[in-house]
Amino acid sequence: MKLVSESLSLDDYDEAVELFFERGWTDGLPVVLPTRRRVEAMIAHVGRDPQESLGPVPPRGGEATIEKLAINAVMGGCRPEHFPVVLAAMEAMMDPAHNLNGVSQTTHMCVSLIIVNGPIARELGFNSRDGVFGNGYRSNAAVGRAARLALWNLGGAVPWDTDKSTLSHPGEYAFCIAEEEEDNPWPPLHVDRGCPPGSDAVTVFACEGPHSIFCYGTPEEMLHVLADSMCALGNNNMHVMGQTLVTLNPLNAEEFAKRGWSKGDVRHYLWEHARRSLSDVRACGVVHEQFRKMERDAGRYPLRYDLDNPTTRLPVTPTPEDIHIVVAGGRSYFGAVLPGWGGFGGFAVTRPIIRPAR
Amino acid sequence: MEILVPVWPAVASARAATQRLRDVRGARIALVDDNLDIPFTTHLASLLSERHGAKIERLVKPSGTAPSPRELIDGAATAHAAIVGIGL
Repeated sequence: MKLVSESLSLDDYDEAVELFFERGWTDGLPVVLPTRRRVEAMIAHVGRDPQESLGPVPPRGGEATIEKLAINAVMGGCRPEHFPVVLAAMEAMMDPAHNLNGVSQTTHMCVSLIIVNGPIARELGFNSRDGVFGNGYRSNAAVGRAARLALWNLGGAVPWDTDKSTLSHPGEYAFCIAEEEEDNPWPPLHVDRGCPPGSDAVTVFACEGPHSIFCYGTPEEMLHVLADSMCALGNNNMHVMGQTLVTLNPLNAEEFAKRGWSKGDVRHYLWEHARRSLSDVRACGVVHEQFRKMERDAGRYPLRYDLDNPTTRLPVTPTPEDIHIVVAGGRSYFGAVLPGWGGFGGFAVTRPIIRPAR
Repeated sequence: MEILVPVWPAVASARAATQRLRDVRGARIALVDDNLDIPFTTHLASLLSERHGAKIERLVKPSGTAPSPRELIDGAATAHAAIVGIGL
């Protein structure tokens, strides 16, 4: 296989691992060494031209060739069968609608979450149940880290340099979940977003880390606490809308479904009730007003909300469809809200996972 | 063992300005407004024009969080100098 990357000949394992730190090629953790054999196996699995490029990765613009992505996937701990998921995630992140350039450089704390759907999630052992945002599962960790390393090494998204995130969050190491599709009464996320049932897909959405929501009881009780948590004044969404993500655990979803609530019903209820008055929002200060003006100038802030009337009730997203709902986690009392970056970008993008031809 | 490098070779850094301004007085200066801190940008524009005699062409980005559109960059490039990166 003809590869174009520079190569190094090293005999000592420890020396090689340390070299990646010295050269700034890793995110703060040791990596799996990208030997030629491992990288070639990764590329061979997908059967694509190593020099095919998905495009320049912002902000620095390194080309996301299949070869470079394979190197970073090996480093992240992927096996060859994970690589199609990594490629779909990279394609989704690099869609202009996601504004990866902004996501990678903003002072906000958002990180692109990768959500895996379809039979491939179960086949590869992605976690979609207890502790879904946490540790313990190679597929979640390796695919998540592979994408982050690609943004690090090809995009140059490095803190104290182009990555200006004020605080960031631990998802910068790896931020990848699967949706629970078996213990789920509703159609999964990728089907909501236009993919055929039974297909494999990845959705990316730039968001904060999961905020725990004590969410148990009747649908109305669960919605009451979810709506309150979604419209906290610290969220960008409350000031400049955009998109937000709600994660319900399978027991939550089952309770809703048993009482006749569809996912769309939940979404509409949250959109109608997760609101604050303009006077509340204005009390946050003039800077927030300026952001709203910018978003309105850019045509992303709906004109139907009267920004001169202090009693106007402002929603967290422009439409109910901008509230994404995923079912994941253990059967328990907790859900999560993951606010987005606001109207500035990081919007959800879905891409099919292309399995290699057999 | 043979290890493959995960980055591309470094490319040349940004070019230096071909000609630096000696004085802003009378110069046509493109002020690329990120549309984030509007009062600050307005204040800067008035200082440059009223106190220093520059001719300000204010170009407003549609979004402060995405790269400038090509036509805005081309417009700024026709000025004697451009001020960019006015965020918060």
